[in-house]
Amino acid sequence: MTRSRGDIVVRALLYAGAALLVMLSVGPTLWLLFGAFSPATDDLGGIPTRLTLANVTTIWQDDGLRAALVNSVIVTFVRAGLNVLLAALAAYPLARMRFRGRGTLFVLILATMMVPEQVIVVPMFTIVVGMGMYDTLLALVVPGSVSAFGIYLCRQAFLAIPTDMEEAARIDGASTFRIWYSVMLPLAAPTLATLAVFSVIGAWSDLLWPLVVLKSESNFTLPIKINELLGQFSTNIRLAYAASVLALVPIVVFFFAAQRWLKPNMFAGAVKG
Amino acid sequence: MSRSLRHSRLAPYIYLLPAVTVLAVFFVIPTLQVAYFSLTRYTVFTDPEWVGFENYQRLGASGWFWVTLANSLLYLLVTPALIFVSLLAAFTVHARLRGERMLRLLFFLPVITPTIVAAIAWRSLLREEGGLLNAGLEELSLPAIAWLTEKPWTLISPMLVTLWKGFGFYMMILLAGLLSVPNELREAAALDGAGRLAVARHVVLPNLAPLLILVSIVSSISALKVFDEIFVTVRGVPVDHQTAVPMVYERAFVEGNFGMASALGMTLFAIILVFSLLNLWITRSRDA
Repeated sequence: MTRSRGDIVVRALLYAGAALLVMLSVGPTLWLLFGAFSPATDDLGGIPTRLTLANVTTIWQDDGLRAALVNSVIVTFVRAGLNVLLAALAAYPLARMRFRGRGTLFVLILATMMVPEQVIVVPMFTIVVGMGMYDTLLALVVPGSVSAFGIYLCRQAFLAIPTDMEEAARIDGASTFRIWYSVMLPLAAPTLATLAVFSVIGAWSDLLWPLVVLKSESNFTLPIKINELLGQFSTNIRLAYAASVLALVPIVVFFFAAQRWLKPNMFAGAVKG
Repeated sequence: MSRSLRHSRLAPYIYLLPAVTVLAVFFVIPTLQVAYFSLTRYTVFTDPEWVGFENYQRLGASGWFWVTLANSLLYLLVTPALIFVSLLAAFTVHARLRGERMLRLLFFLPVITPTIVAAIAWRSLLREEGGLLNAGLEELSLPAIAWLTEKPWTLISPMLVTLWKGFGFYMMILLAGLLSVPNELREAAALDGAGRLAVARHVVLPNLAPLLILVSIVSSISALKVFDEIFVTVRGVPVDHQTAVPMVYERAFVEGNFGMASALGMTLFAIILVFSLLNLWITRSRDA
């Protein structure tokens, strides 16, 4: 097909739109980087006259910041791991076994998706206090270890697996658990990976809940530590920018490593749930 | 299905036990409790004491409640903006421009950026003196805007953060819709003499419409739940600039009034439920 003049105009408009959107996507982060790597003598909010690591090395001296980085990494990975494991376990009988109350249980699980965490934050807090988990990392890991959305996603993935493979494994004498472990999990791996990536992104950014249940600085996660830096009037704002960069780098690296698990149709499937 | 093992009747429940326990303890019980707390006088210092609808009556009689609610509803205006930008992004990525893969990655970077980091970046752009946006306005000899202190800008600024952080996510959903339009359909329409616009309107749009509805509901629900963007971007603004969730936080964890916070939470829950049920209804009727 030859390209008409209309085609060329449309493509030019699309390139212009793309350029605008790239500026929008990258601009604010770029400005943050400028702030983080500019010397204190520069005007804030301009293009730096020279680049310096001073702010980053200063904030790195802060024991609280390094502790927060470690806490964030631990909480994020344990939460994501549990999310995948517990969802895959729960989804297995929902997809493959016949038992009393299956339908009701599945509907109840889905119904919890309609309850926003933000609405029930008060009773969640009193429960966590009652269980003695206040101001511990467990308070972040345990309530966040299961999402109904994850169970739904895994169940869909299991339902899509043909039963022939399980039958074959069963004839070979594999136990139910063995089938879950060595047939279902590998075949559902792309979905499990996507769920893990979503969990990591969510957990790394979490602000409200850790704000509510953490008190000691040694237990802070990165967003809480950064929030505290912002709250201190004495803080050089460039240090908050530098801390933000330290919160940004690990998740960007993770994203580039994991981005092949983020396919458009997974997103469409995700919101339908 | 063979059931050789004695415990196989119990097996399904064993697989479900950990997940269901967590959901029961941290979702189901709190949902019942928040309804109960909202009907009690309950603070950090006192145990819950039944007072019926007193909290709701006091909410209704207070000025801040209606302002908070109005602000939360105004925040829904971010949805049309999100749809417009994410649609534009989906079209540009789908148009097979040069560097399409890179575009997709760049548009997604804001999505993975922790919200507090996004809010700090935007705060620096929106600073009233020396911020990039006000500097730009000055270049155009327009008056500076009090982005972080005056209404309605104290709502618009966090909405900018929400828009920035969200459009890449919704773009992916809409992209799935664009990719699902069969190429043969486009080509057939083009062969029949349909122009670009006609193809867009009669072939692409009908395929996209259900996803657009879905995106608007999902983004409306998250707009009603907004906390991080308000809490960080316009840190320290007075009560009448806040939306519902920051007010729940304020009432419960700054003032220690759990009963009142729960009543506010229940009100928000009722509004969100309307959108959730709409979502469920649309999804069901489409799958059926």
